[in-house]
This record gives sequence, structure tokens and C-alpha cells, in this order.
Amino acid sequence: MAQRLLIVMIGLVLLASPATAATLEERVVQHRLANGLTLLLMERHQAPIVAVNLTYKVGGVHEHNGITGVAHLYEHMAFKGSRTIGVTDAEKEKPVLEELDRLAEAITAEKARGAAADRTRLAALRKQFAETEAKADGFVVPAELATLYQRQGGVGLNATTGKDLTRYFLSFPSNRLPLWAAVESDRMANGVLREFYKEKNVVLEERRQRTDNSPSGRLHEAFAAAAFQAHPYGLPVIGWPSDLDGLSKARTEVFFQTYYGPANAVLAIVGDINQKDVIALVEQTFGRIPARPPSPPVLTTEPPYAGERRVEVEYAAEPQILIGFHKPGTGHPDDAVFDVIESLLSDGRTSRLHKRLVQEKQLATSISAFSDYPGAQYPNLFVIGATPRAPHTAAEIEQAVYEELDRLKKEPVTPRELEKILNQIDAAQVRALRSNSGMASRLGYFQAISGDWRETFKQRDRIAMVSPEDIRRVAAQYFTKSNRVVATLVRPDKQESESKP
Amino acid sequence: MNRVVAALFARAFFLAALLTAPPAFAQTAAKPAPLGDPRTMTFDPVTITVPEVERVVLENGMIVYLLPDRELPLVTVSAMIRTGSIYEPADKVGLAGLTGIVMRTGGTARLTGDQVDEELEFLAANISMGIGGESGAAALDILKKDLPRGLAIFADMLRAPAFEPAKVEQAKRQALEAIRRRPDSPGGITAREFRKLLFGADHPLGRESTTDTVSRITRDDLVAFHRQFFAPNAIILGVTGDFEKPAMLDALRKAFGDWQPQPVALPALPPVAASAGPGAGRSVNILRRDLSQTHLRIGHLSVKEDDPDYFALALLDDILGGNSFTSRLFRDVRSRQGLAYSVGSRIAPGNAGPGVFMLHALTKGPSTYQALSSMLDHMERLRQEPVSTEELQLAKDAFLNSFVFSFADSGLIVGRLMGLEYYGLPKDFLQRFRDSVVKLTKEDLLRVARRHLHPDRVIILAVGKDGDFEKPLSNFGPISVLTLKPGG
Repeated sequence: MAQRLLIVMIGLVLLASPATAATLEERVVQHRLANGLTLLLMERHQAPIVAVNLTYKVGGVHEHNGITGVAHLYEHMAFKGSRTIGVTDAEKEKPVLEELDRLAEAITAEKARGAAADRTRLAALRKQFAETEAKADGFVVPAELATLYQRQGGVGLNATTGKDLTRYFLSFPSNRLPLWAAVESDRMANGVLREFYKEKNVVLEERRQRTDNSPSGRLHEAFAAAAFQAHPYGLPVIGWPSDLDGLSKARTEVFFQTYYGPANAVLAIVGDINQKDVIALVEQTFGRIPARPPSPPVLTTEPPYAGERRVEVEYAAEPQILIGFHKPGTGHPDDAVFDVIESLLSDGRTSRLHKRLVQEKQLATSISAFSDYPGAQYPNLFVIGATPRAPHTAAEIEQAVYEELDRLKKEPVTPRELEKILNQIDAAQVRALRSNSGMASRLGYFQAISGDWRETFKQRDRIAMVSPEDIRRVAAQYFTKSNRVVATLVRPDKQESESKP
Repeated sequence: MNRVVAALFARAFFLAALLTAPPAFAQTAAKPAPLGDPRTMTFDPVTITVPEVERVVLENGMIVYLLPDRELPLVTVSAMIRTGSIYEPADKVGLAGLTGIVMRTGGTARLTGDQVDEELEFLAANISMGIGGESGAAALDILKKDLPRGLAIFADMLRAPAFEPAKVEQAKRQALEAIRRRPDSPGGITAREFRKLLFGADHPLGRESTTDTVSRITRDDLVAFHRQFFAPNAIILGVTGDFEKPAMLDALRKAFGDWQPQPVALPALPPVAASAGPGAGRSVNILRRDLSQTHLRIGHLSVKEDDPDYFALALLDDILGGNSFTSRLFRDVRSRQGLAYSVGSRIAPGNAGPGVFMLHALTKGPSTYQALSSMLDHMERLRQEPVSTEELQLAKDAFLNSFVFSFADSGLIVGRLMGLEYYGLPKDFLQRFRDSVVKLTKEDLLRVARRHLHPDRVIILAVGKDGDFEKPLSNFGPISVLTLKPGG
């Protein structure tokens, strides 16, 4: 899961030594366009290829009930093209799409009448809708955007939507950069929501795959919803099915206009490039896009609460458990302490939770800790997730986890443990340079989340400053029962037989 | 200083590319004119000069590929070992996998497993070790400064694993828990059941471990399995990263040189019953699970990797469902009909045994029939009519223009040479692949589709709630209902 990778990155992105830090920092060039777009460039000439990562500061956190899933659905729509790509004649297509939207809204309104809905009218509307959709299909040039990229050797074309960010990326031979700049700047400025209603069905299938038929998918959805009563981190990025069903194209269009402005975008390019040339190319393409008003801030904050929250999810599967503690978001001084605690508890076989619960007590088959769940920007959770090993139970795991957390409150962490964490962070930074796309992703992530790509280096220095006393203080302050949320996956009482005759 | 040397070195690899592919954007960007229509942009071809990789055979028969790459102060030593779960006894399925796991966790002649973990993690070094179906793989990834220490541990692990009894027990318990949890993952169930249908539930390529087979495995079995297969003459090493060749060869000789060769006998693989052979019709297999989405697989056995038709089949697969976004299955089943998020096709050419050609999709219960029907139609269409000129051109262009990514880093280059030698394929296999693709015509693809795709005798597997299907699948062939065995 991309989200998880990014979370880990916060802890791991760092450097081998001050000398390489300087070298690496010197290799990154930052350029800001007049319309607010931030460009980050790094030359790496190992092969004639380049990776691009376009990160928008938009995600599930900008949604509310009623429009959940809109950020992710838009991400899917962004592959459908623009006013010039993916269509035979955009002028003629426009009225057909508008008619389709009118019909869709009429259907939604009629359905909303519930039992009083006029079935005959609904059937007639649906028939009209299907006919109009077929007409709209006539204008579609299928997969034209992807075709343009693939034909020129583009690989790894994809995108992800998380709580905080939506990210579009691919790699291709480096001399094809003008093609990418033309296509990508076009979809930033002129996206057209075609095949919108069909794509909702695709997303519903994605939801069935990732959430509805996945034990861990169900557990995570219920866990986040229990943890956040007010803040949108509690809402599923994939969307509630009923929201997806009812989501209008007009609302989706407004969402795009609000959050997809150039000032909300970070463009990271790493590979066999010439920085000056790329700046000129980006000015010439993305630079033509007019600035948009700043997107509104996320106003809702989770009110302080006291009292443990517990939720059970019934599903016919083996047990799983998630334990979370509320904590501050990016920029808070305790952030680096949580990163250290995360490493201490679950990075590698010698980490405390793995050693104690998987190897010694053998209560669990796997256990992991992650800071910054389910997003990093805003106050979030420190989470420990585990799968019990039969006949052991989730309750036994919970008890053993709390014992380990109590140890953090009582015994000072040894210098060797801290040194190991720093060694791993430093080596991970060296390894990060093996991949153009990995480096582009890191630079873009830190720029988008904290406003400064140099955080990749600063974070290391903050982690180096974390003392055993910091860890003790943070553990005592945050790892308390009243600050806790726990979700367990349990079998329904009357277990349905797995295969009915 | 190293960095400058590295940059020069890397440039030398790609000199041809630099000469023949001037950065087009530099010319464009010099003028502030609009870029024009992306559909009509043209670019110089990217040509690549592949770096020379040195191949050395040590005195004890160990084969070593070396490719220095000084960009970063890291060294990677990877190994392919001539073994695999296809060689484990039928009553102890799971033995090969467990052997690989405990070689990594169970200590060496010099260190306990916990000491190994402590030392490697403190050095931020990684060692991985695993035995798959047709090969074993191990790798050391370490900072250059720690190479001597890392290489010593890595060699001990390959040569003299201790198989500590407690770690053997722990690995067995984990394996048993994994078997208990198999029913929770519909994707996993589908993959295993489909292999059983293709190769036979008892064949080494189709069978799976069970509670019984894993419980039966003892520490002695692991020791014996290691002794039987791990020998220097059964190992191919690949070394990349920041090193000098002579010094590296000295280090490897020091680590592995006194390891005596021994004859390694590989048990013969039994033939696969011709499940998709002529005369056999389609079979429809349903595994009932309480899911709102059906996992569909359609396929049959296919060619080996050295088959002359493999290249054409690979391109057909790209067109049918291999390429994301642009393939027929993606465009029709996903984008046009909105029936699936995951849909596609795959050709997995065989090495030890036959390969597999298959189509796959996940769709909601009430559209199972429709999705299946569309997928079979697409498979049939490849036999009925030639692909369009545009489709063929796109598939070729996509393959040829992304060819450079096969040489994106030294690990890929060396890993490929190791794999080719392991499977007895020519070392210029990829170049032959490329040259063949350039020449392929629509007629070639039609001939190959007719010869190698058999929608009339595919194995169909549907895992889901058949009560929700909009029509019974019996129209596609005789139905068998499968059941999951507990502990299986």
C-alpha cells in the first residue's frame, strides 16, 4: 500500500553522512512557477530514462460524508483525457455529456424518494440514460492518454489516492519529456469527466476487492471510523458505496476546480535530464496554466476526548487486531520521537515487538507498528497491528503489547538500540538513490506534506537528537488507556458454513 | 571523487544512446513556441549499449557474474541455487520453503540465529534466503564498508546453516498458521486451486502444503534437503555495486573457495497430465465462497520459454490483457462495461514444466456470466481475425521503446544473465526477443493464436457465490463444484 510506504519513509529517509548529505542536497534544484507550481529536479545519468511524480495536495481528508470517494474517483477520471485527448470531437461531445448528467441527476432524485419513487419513471429514465451513454461512447477514443505514453516507452503509469495526497507517476526514456509535459499539463488544465458513470462501477469493484471481501480491509475501515468522529481521517478514501452511487458529476467537477490548481501541485523529476532545459519546458507548458484561488483549509479538528473506544468487526475469518493511540500530526516536536518508537518496536527481527511476541512468546505470526495512520498531515494515530497465532487470542496479544509499551515508560532505551536505528536510517537513504521513481516520490512527498523537500534530511537530524528520556516521556503521555482505540476482527457467533451444498 | 568516476563510467555504457538520442526537449525548449500535438510528436530512438558483464567459474564450479557500478557505496551479492519445491518429497510438501526460511533464521556454525540478526540489523545489512518452486535464491545487500563481515555471514549461511531446533519449530508453527489463514484470502485460494486444476493436485507444480505434510517435517529433513542441493557447483552468483573485480574475486574465493563440489542429482519431474490436450473440452469449476465478488480465471497450459512462438505469444498477451489501460480486456471489460477493477491476461512461459496462459478478472456476483463471456469472446477473436495494424504497432512500439528499462540498473542486467544460464537459455535471449518482435506481422500473430490459444478447451475457475450469478455457468461447459479441505 502506497500509504504505508510513505509512512515508513518519514522514518527512513535520511543520509549516510554529512558529506553525502551536502552532495545530495546540492543535487536537487527547486523552481517555483509564477502560478505556484513547485518543481523539484535531480539529475541522475545512469541510464537514458527519467521518472516523474506529480503530487497534488488533495485526498480523502478534503471530503465529508455525502462526497466520500470523490478524490479517488477523480484520480480515475484523470486517465480519461482532456478536451483534446481521448475524444473525437469535444464540441459535439459536450451537449451529450450534459444530457447524460441531467438524466443521472433525475435518477438520483427519483431514487431518493425511497418507497415513494415512481418506478415507471425510473425505468424510463434509465433507458434514456443507457441510450445517451451509448451516444457519448461514440465520441470516446479509448485509452488515448495511456496509448500516447505507452507508444513512447512509458512504463509504470499509475496513480494513488491517500488521505493527504493524490499522486500521478510514470517513467519513460528521457528524450520523451516534451510529450509528457504536453499531456500532463493538458490534463491539469483541461480534464474532462468522460465515462464518469461507468468508472463509478469500476471503483465499486475496487471497493469490493480491497474492503468488502477483505478481512483486513473491513477492520481498517471500522477502526478509522471509530478513531475519528469529527475529522475526515475517519472516512474511507475509496468512499461509502451509497456516496459513490449518488455522487454527481457537477460535484466532482467542483472538487477538481477547487483542489487541482497549480499551486497545489509538486512536480518531481529524477533521471537523465538537464535541469535548465526541463525548467524551460515546464515553464512553457505548465507555466501557461492560470493560477487558481487557494484551496480551503481543512477546518474540522478532532475534539479532545477521554475514554477508550473499542470496536468489533464480525467477519468469517481468523482474528486480527489494531491498537491505536491519538498523536499529533506533521511538524509537532514529538513526531520524530514516534518515528524512533516505531523503529524500536517493529523494524526488523530484532525489534522489540517482533522479538517478544513473534519469536519468544509466539503469540503472533506478524506484528507491526506504524506512525502517522491513516494520514500524516493532521493529528493522527500511532498504530500497532497484529495477527494472533492459534490458539492464542487477540486479547493475549493486546496484553503483551501493553507490557512492551509499559517498558518504554519505565526503562530507558539503550544507546545501542538508538544507534541501530540511525544506522538503518542512514543506509536507507543511500539505498533510496538506487531508484529514480523512489527518489522522485520522496522529494515530492516531503515537499507536499511539510512544504520543504529538505525535511528528508532534517528529519534525520531530529531523530538523532531523540533521547531515552524523550521516549519515556512520549510513551507515558500518549500510550494510555483513555487515549486508545482498539478494533478486533471476530467470527460471527453463528458461523455461516463456508460452502453451502 | 567516486561519484565523478561513476558518472563517467555510466556514460560509457550508454554512449550510443547519447550519440543517437540527443535530448529533443532541449531543442524544443529553446524556443518558447507551443509544443504542438502530442499525437504527432516524434523522437529519436533510444539505443542502448549493454555493459560487458564478466563471467568467472571458480575452481569448485561456482559461477560468478560481476558488474561493478560505483554510483553508491553499496554491494549486492545474489545467488541462484539449483533446487526448488518441485524436488521435495510428496509427503513433505513445504520442506523446501521451510529449509530456506530456517537457513536464514536458524544460525550458522559460528553464530546463533539471534546473533546473526543482531549483527546484520546493526550494520543495516539485509540477507534474504528463500526456496521457490523451481529455484532457490539468496541475496546480501550491504554497505561497502561492511562487505567482509557480511560476506562471511552470507557464506556461512549457504554452506553451514545450523538449523537451530527452536527456529525450526517456530518456522513450522508459522507455516501451520499460514495454512489456517488461507481461507481468508480469496485471491490466494483462487491462485492455488487454479494451479491444481492446471497441473494436477498431486503434481509438483500443482500441489500445496497441508497441515499433514508440514507437521511431518523434521529438523533432520531440513538438514538433509540442504545437504542434497547446496553445493558450490549448483550455485550461480551475481555481484554488483562498488567494488574492484580482482579484489572481489579474492574475497569470493576466500568465502567459498574451500567449499568442495559434489554431484547434485535433480529428481526427474513427472509429466503433466494433458489437461488441455486435444479432445479435452472446457471445464467449469466453481468454488463456493460467501463473497460479493467472483474471482475468475480462464486458462490452459502453454509453451516453454525456449519455444520459438513464445515471443509472438507474449505480444498477443500484451494486446489481449497484458498491457494496462490499452489492452482489449482493460478497455472493454473494465472501461467500456465497468465490470471489473482488476482484469487482464498473462503468459507465464514454462521452464521445468509447461507454461500457463491465462485470463483473470474480479467482478461482482451478478455480472460473473457477462464478464466470463466477454473474456472468452476476446480470446476467441484473436483466433478468428488478425489484430488491427494500430494494435500491433502500439504493442511493438510499447515493447521496443521501453526496452531500455531492461537495462535500468546493474542488478537487473546481472540478474537476467543468471536466470538465463540457470534455465539453459541463450545469453542473448533478450536481444533475440527484441529482434523477433520487430519482425512480427499480423499474420504471425494469427497463426500463433490459432496454434496456442484454445478457448474451446480452457479450464475455467470461478470462486464466489454462484447463487448471485445472473446466469448459470453451465453454458460454458460441464460444471464441477470444488471444496476447500480443512488444513489443505
